Amino acid sequence: MAKFIVRRVFWTIPVLLLVILMTFGMMKAIKGNPFRHTEHNIPVAIQKNLDRQFRLDQPWYIQYAYYVKGVFTWNLGPSMLQRDRTVNEVVAQGFPISAEEGGLAMLFALIVGIPLGIISALRQNSIFDYTAMTFSNIGFAVPAFLTSTLFLYFFALKWGHFTGFPTFGWSGFHSKVLPAIALGLGPMTYFARLVRGSMLETLQQDYIRTAKAKGLRWRRVVGVHVLRNSLIPAVTAAGPLLGYLITGSFIIERIFAIPGIGQYYVTSVSSRDYTVTMGLTVLLSILIIAANLIVDILYGVLDPRTRDQRA
Amino acid sequence: MALLEVNDLRTHFFTREGVVRAVDGVSFSVEIGKTLGIVGESGSGKSVTALSVMGLIPQPPARIVSGSVVFDGRDLTKLSNRQLEDVRGRQIAMIFQDPMTSLNPTLTIGMQIVETLRRHLRLSKQQAHKRAVELLEEVHIPDAARRLSDYPHRYSGGMRQRVMVAIALSCNPRLLIADEPTTALDVTVQAGILDLLYELREEHQMAMILITHDMGVVAEAADDVAVMYAGQLVERGTSDEIFTRPEHPYTEALLGALPHVESASVREERLTAIPGRPPDLIDPPEACRFAPRCPYAGLGSCSTVPPELREIRDGHWVRSAHPASERAGAAQEAGVT
Amino acid sequence: MSTTDRNASFESALLEAATAVKVHDAGAALRRSSLWRDGLRRFTNNRAAVIAAVAFLVMVGFVVLGPIVDNSNPYYINYAIAYQPPTWAHPFGTDEFGRDLFVRTALGGRLSIEIGIGATFAIMVIGILYGSISGFVGGWLDNVQMRFLDTLYGLPYLPFAIIALAIFGTVNFWTMVVALSIASWFTTARVMRGQIISLKENDYVRAARAVGARWYRVLFRHLLPNTLGMIIVFVFLELPGVVLGEAFLSFIGLGINPPQASWGSLAEDGYTAYATHPYIIIVPSICIAWLILSAFFIADGLRDALDPRTRETREG
Repeated sequence: MAKFIVRRVFWTIPVLLLVILMTFGMMKAIKGNPFRHTEHNIPVAIQKNLDRQFRLDQPWYIQYAYYVKGVFTWNLGPSMLQRDRTVNEVVAQGFPISAEEGGLAMLFALIVGIPLGIISALRQNSIFDYTAMTFSNIGFAVPAFLTSTLFLYFFALKWGHFTGFPTFGWSGFHSKVLPAIALGLGPMTYFARLVRGSMLETLQQDYIRTAKAKGLRWRRVVGVHVLRNSLIPAVTAAGPLLGYLITGSFIIERIFAIPGIGQYYVTSVSSRDYTVTMGLTVLLSILIIAANLIVDILYGVLDPRTRDQRA
Repeated sequence: MALLEVNDLRTHFFTREGVVRAVDGVSFSVEIGKTLGIVGESGSGKSVTALSVMGLIPQPPARIVSGSVVFDGRDLTKLSNRQLEDVRGRQIAMIFQDPMTSLNPTLTIGMQIVETLRRHLRLSKQQAHKRAVELLEEVHIPDAARRLSDYPHRYSGGMRQRVMVAIALSCNPRLLIADEPTTALDVTVQAGILDLLYELREEHQMAMILITHDMGVVAEAADDVAVMYAGQLVERGTSDEIFTRPEHPYTEALLGALPHVESASVREERLTAIPGRPPDLIDPPEACRFAPRCPYAGLGSCSTVPPELREIRDGHWVRSAHPASERAGAAQEAGVT
Repeated sequence: MSTTDRNASFESALLEAATAVKVHDAGAALRRSSLWRDGLRRFTNNRAAVIAAVAFLVMVGFVVLGPIVDNSNPYYINYAIAYQPPTWAHPFGTDEFGRDLFVRTALGGRLSIEIGIGATFAIMVIGILYGSISGFVGGWLDNVQMRFLDTLYGLPYLPFAIIALAIFGTVNFWTMVVALSIASWFTTARVMRGQIISLKENDYVRAARAVGARWYRVLFRHLLPNTLGMIIVFVFLELPGVVLGEAFLSFIGLGINPPQASWGSLAEDGYTAYATHPYIIIVPSICIAWLILSAFFIADGLRDALDPRTRETREG
């Protein structure tokens, strides 16, 4: 088991290097040295200085090497446009906020989605099931910007007096509810449908029939035998869901005016602050790789069959 | 008094295509300590009968429409699911056909035995654990103590079936229902499982219902035999009777379809396969269900009147208009070795 | 489980679509025609799928015919009638510049769907090529390709699309298509590879090879045609994703720019006015949802229709 983990972790390193390379390559391909295109006229001497500071005068592989070293020592360089800030500071400021927002969204998705799926499966074809599934389908198809805007309009603007939800910002409990729900709605519907499907399939299995034949209480059959086997697929979905959360956060943070990574990313691209863009992209990649890794390991832990395959 | 008495059991499946009358009038009884063999081809309703006894038929599409299942004086069909949960595993236990899928792959074998013990016998964890080791030893699993913490995928098919037997026997049930326990196993392993069942049946003084399509198995193990066809019971009697003096044409055909190893009789060397297929159970004919395949049908009422189950000899029941002993030229026809 | 295995098992809905549309052995050409006819029959028997197909066609009809039927000029600015609620003249109302929203939504739909189809096509081409080569050739090439694919899974999709657009400098149909497809073809490639690998083992392939068929004949005549069913299902599964992607990009301002409209940019217009006119964002969003839902259920129906295994067999 430990060998399995070590091996998996080991493989993330080349992945990371490759990702950094690709990000780096793409950033380099963007035409335009930012300093040449700004509105202010920067004197040539200062420009040369800046070039040297950012190592823009070195061949690309040197730049790459320095950057990789930077990533591993967690120094993502200075912000190109905001001279007094480093990328690290941008990250330090925005990341906790986005992480909290993503975390709350996931929490919502799990707390609401999984029970919804379980109950729908146990009461298959009932009114509850149909309603829940219809709601899920709608929730999954309707774009996040619509739900967010409607939330914003109704709960924050119109009925703000009752609910206490503000229309922007990220401080205090109230400001976090709407964005978390808006962001978590998609994953919630995903979990609901996934768990329902998985449970329905598990309920058909022979070993559930055996459990019933043994006279076990139905509560135990569901709680121990059914759930255990049904929830495994839900775990493995967590990886790609992170991608969804990242994408969604771009929208949510824009609409709810939350100063998180998503917003910074967009502004950095439009203002050509490439170190920030690069740093954030690498950060997001690291998160995705880490999430995949954790899910892989979790899967190994949860399903005894894969555990032995890898032993 | 019989331990289990099934009376005119009818279990129907209500599907979109129609009502499938999977079990349509089955009656039999099982005495304490005796073994009943239920034989029939796939789709004859034997498994559904067993599941109906246990109350394990999937309730949305299926339902026991009528009939009674009296176990130890109580009609199981009238009990609530909670009450049935107390009966299952404790009074009546069941083992199933495919051992590869009958155990939960994410729980250890030990856990699956222990949970049964603790559920019914209220043992402590240590007591249950000890008992589980004993059970595994009883079913001849080597290195039992260590094997308890293994997961099912580490067990072979034969061993898993032994574990199923162990689980079934763990709370000393009065009746064991074995639904084709050997069908999914290798021939060499089959014998082992059957021997195990006989051995434990003796030890535990347990009644058994052995469901199979293999006449050979029944011949060895059963005291009484019930033959099912198309959801109905077509013949019933002691094992001796059924094998030496079969009455129903279907039973005769089944026995004829057995390869005779040592035969001095004039039977053909070829296996006599029974031509045709069982009827569709959605709208079964209002007539003898075996008629289309029966060599003696057509002589009268066979395609219009469904024959009733009647006692043709003491304890030997037949559902046929043309049982062997009533046919013209019965003496020559019944020329069994 | 390696990332490869786990990712494969996660994309269960999509993977199911692929394995479900496996084709039977012998006689490729002969079976194919009956499979399609069979599939069509089963599809039309599936109520949800038919409704979805109709809905999809309605949407296509709307974007194609809408601007023709309603001949308001979508670019004509007339502040006098700005922000009007729906009327006969302007069924969806007007926007802040007094432009007719019905026509703008339809035209926006054209662009969104065009980009969607384009990107889906690109995804299919890349994915199919990558996957078939990997699966067909096998061996070390397959290994290398799959490892590489594993690394690609670490790329965040939207950020890379954004970067791609930044590289191109401008945003138009072609750049959007490329941007949206670079980070979305992985699943298709993997599933395609799986299909090819399992089809390779079929007897008719061995037979073809035994009579000396060259590799391209085997690939193009025997293997690829049998993946057609799965490909069609995937088209309807990927389309919603890219349409939504385009919408997201346009919404955050990094996509389609005015005066051109796409559903995403229209939604963004609606959003900026939400405080006073909250309903404007609804129409383009509903259009997107409409497309997504109908495509998804069509894909579902297609998958069921083309899966020989789920054919009804009655057992007594």
